[in-house]
Amino acid sequence: MATTIISSPDAVRFRYDDVDHAYHEQRENRLTGIVLFLVSDVVLFSMFIFAYCYLRSSVPNWPPITQGGHQLPRFDTAFAEFNSIVLFGSGATMHFAMESWKHTNRPAFFRWLIATIILGAGFLGGQAYEYSTVSITWAGSTMGAAFFTLTGMHGFHVLVGVIFLCILGLQAQAGVYTGSKYFGLTAGTLYWHFVDVIWVALFFLFYLW
Amino acid sequence: MTVSSDALQHGVEDHIHPAPEGFIRKYVFSIDHKVIGFQYFITGMLFFAIAGSLAELIRLQLLKPEGAIMSNQAYNGVYTMHGTAMVWMVIIPLVTGALGNFIMPLQIGARDVAFPWLNMLSFWIFPVAGAILFASFLVGAPNAGWTEYAPISLQGPPGTTLWCVAIFLIGISSTLTGLNFMVTVIKMRCPGMTWTRMPLFTWATFATALINMVATVALSGALAALFMERVFGVPFYDPARGGSPVLWQHMFWFYSHPAVYIMIIPAFGVISEVLPVFARKPIFGYKMIAFSSMAIAILGFAVWAHHMFTSGMAPWLQLPFMIVTMLIGIPTGIKIFSWVATLWGGRLHFSTAMLFAMGFLITFTFGGITGVYLAAVPADLHEHGTYFVVGHFHYVVAGGSVMGLLAAIFFWFPKAAGRMLDERMGHWTFWLFFFGLNGTFFPMHWLGLFGMPRRYATYVEFAKIYPPAQLWNIVASASSLLMAAAMLLLFINILRSLVRGRPSGINPWGARTLEWTISSPPPYYNFKRIPIVLGLPYCFDEPLPYRNLDNEQDEIPKPHSASQAWMEATA
Repeated sequence: MATTIISSPDAVRFRYDDVDHAYHEQRENRLTGIVLFLVSDVVLFSMFIFAYCYLRSSVPNWPPITQGGHQLPRFDTAFAEFNSIVLFGSGATMHFAMESWKHTNRPAFFRWLIATIILGAGFLGGQAYEYSTVSITWAGSTMGAAFFTLTGMHGFHVLVGVIFLCILGLQAQAGVYTGSKYFGLTAGTLYWHFVDVIWVALFFLFYLW
Repeated sequence: MTVSSDALQHGVEDHIHPAPEGFIRKYVFSIDHKVIGFQYFITGMLFFAIAGSLAELIRLQLLKPEGAIMSNQAYNGVYTMHGTAMVWMVIIPLVTGALGNFIMPLQIGARDVAFPWLNMLSFWIFPVAGAILFASFLVGAPNAGWTEYAPISLQGPPGTTLWCVAIFLIGISSTLTGLNFMVTVIKMRCPGMTWTRMPLFTWATFATALINMVATVALSGALAALFMERVFGVPFYDPARGGSPVLWQHMFWFYSHPAVYIMIIPAFGVISEVLPVFARKPIFGYKMIAFSSMAIAILGFAVWAHHMFTSGMAPWLQLPFMIVTMLIGIPTGIKIFSWVATLWGGRLHFSTAMLFAMGFLITFTFGGITGVYLAAVPADLHEHGTYFVVGHFHYVVAGGSVMGLLAAIFFWFPKAAGRMLDERMGHWTFWLFFFGLNGTFFPMHWLGLFGMPRRYATYVEFAKIYPPAQLWNIVASASSLLMAAAMLLLFINILRSLVRGRPSGINPWGARTLEWTISSPPPYYNFKRIPIVLGLPYCFDEPLPYRNLDNEQDEIPKPHSASQAWMEATA
């Protein structure tokens, strides 16, 4: 094959010296894909947050007054604060797990990952407890509709996250990831931090506002 | 920076995946973006035939003021299903799924989309969603219009729940396709293809993918809430229980106004590709056309409430929505004038694709202008819910999206099938469609101005106020048959071409984007060697701005090759 020399303008960018070209191409695609997926997930939560704000602003009293004439109670902030600390703690342990992996400290990685899974499951347990004690119902009022739908969606995301982290742990155990190729772990971390950030908004909306 | 083409091939050619084997892998659960594009096309056209037949039923019913063929309840179901199917099962899958899938990866010199498996999943959700939607006829079709305003949708027949599920599913499919296309365009352009060298159809697909990815999720949220309210009684929209019907309108239109741009922006892209090829002139204002697509996509998120001027909005809130809506006229006007300037002084070749593109310029501009007029609050308060609105948006959807779709079919069919469509039949298709479209929807404007309400099964009272009402409805109904004839002719043309069409060769139109440098139909890997792009694809008097092409085509495509192809085709 004759070697045609192309004096190319600025725009021709290559990484052909890179032996892992295909891997990196795929990693970049997937990373962009995950980020865009999280963006669309933010829109989904935003819609229900908008619905909550809209319904809340369309009545004079909040918590709303039922047809029976009594005002619904506010949510128990103290317990939610405790539960929030559990979830935010899991964000910190996830961060430490990722840092340990980057420093090729596998035992520490597994310790932090298991801590994250336990904290995540603990948050879910706490939410189940709150659901069982709260006095409003899903179909009973707009407040219940917004609360159970939003926290339920978030809880579902946490549940998916916990399962995701368990799979990542098993994969890491099986040697799927190496010191330089660990995209799955990056994706898991991104997702987990996303779930944390969503909770900040929900905590403010339901417990502090 | 200098690179040798030997170095380029290293690490590129060996990434061609093995050819798919067996019927199932090749044609059913294929992960090839081209086959998925064909699947979208066939499924979408099938639904087009069903939704089009529903439209003919509507037109038949309106032949008489008291209603010609069906009960009021049946009519409600028919127009609801017509609108729903046309928007979600026909136009959006055809312009994003079929055109986007087939053309966009070829235009950016990629072997496939970023996530082929996800692409397959997106497609297979589509026929399932369509089947669920049409199954709602069996249990009582939804009857609150394609917008399904609460609280009517809360009290609607059981089919409304199926409607929810179907649209939710097709929404997931749209979101995934949008995400897939975004990543593909951002990450998988071939070397040298900078953002400002991307073909305009790819720009349009990118802008559409952005809306698809961001806005469709909003619809999913709205539908999920409607589903929960209908099935579990969770109060969101029912005013009797503290909910708000206007909330549904906000959530619905936050998606459904951008959805209008999902339907039209790919057609803009098609027109931007077709016009320069058949005018043998560089596209006028490349960057302005590209950026105005993005401007429309982004501004489109801030106009949704112009559908709700009569829903009890605060007047101070109506004003910004009115102004932003009118602002969209600016990027759209930039496009129209750029296209006209592209034609100006060009050597026009009236192939069928070109006819549809020029017909698009007329009908879309008309629909766009009535859109700016409707955006004005005082006008909207008068026209809202009348046939004026029906006329307006059919000029945009049928005169814009469908015209663009037909232009794309006549333009890219030779690439997809390797055979030419018959140009004589194509010209008949165009003129039938063009006259049919204008005859059907033009009278609706003054019917609406005189006060004929949309969505009514009868117009006895209106005919008393405005005696020529029946005459114009008969004109509209008769003209709609011309459109049906045009679509039938297209169907025959495609079948005939598949059996005994003339082979098209690599580049029948003398076009210059990358898909015209590979064989027709393209091989499963698209490009054996990934091409290198050195410039814009629209400079017709310069050599092709590509290196490393699979077929040596570096010479200038002859300016008269398009007219030759056309003359040969019509001979």
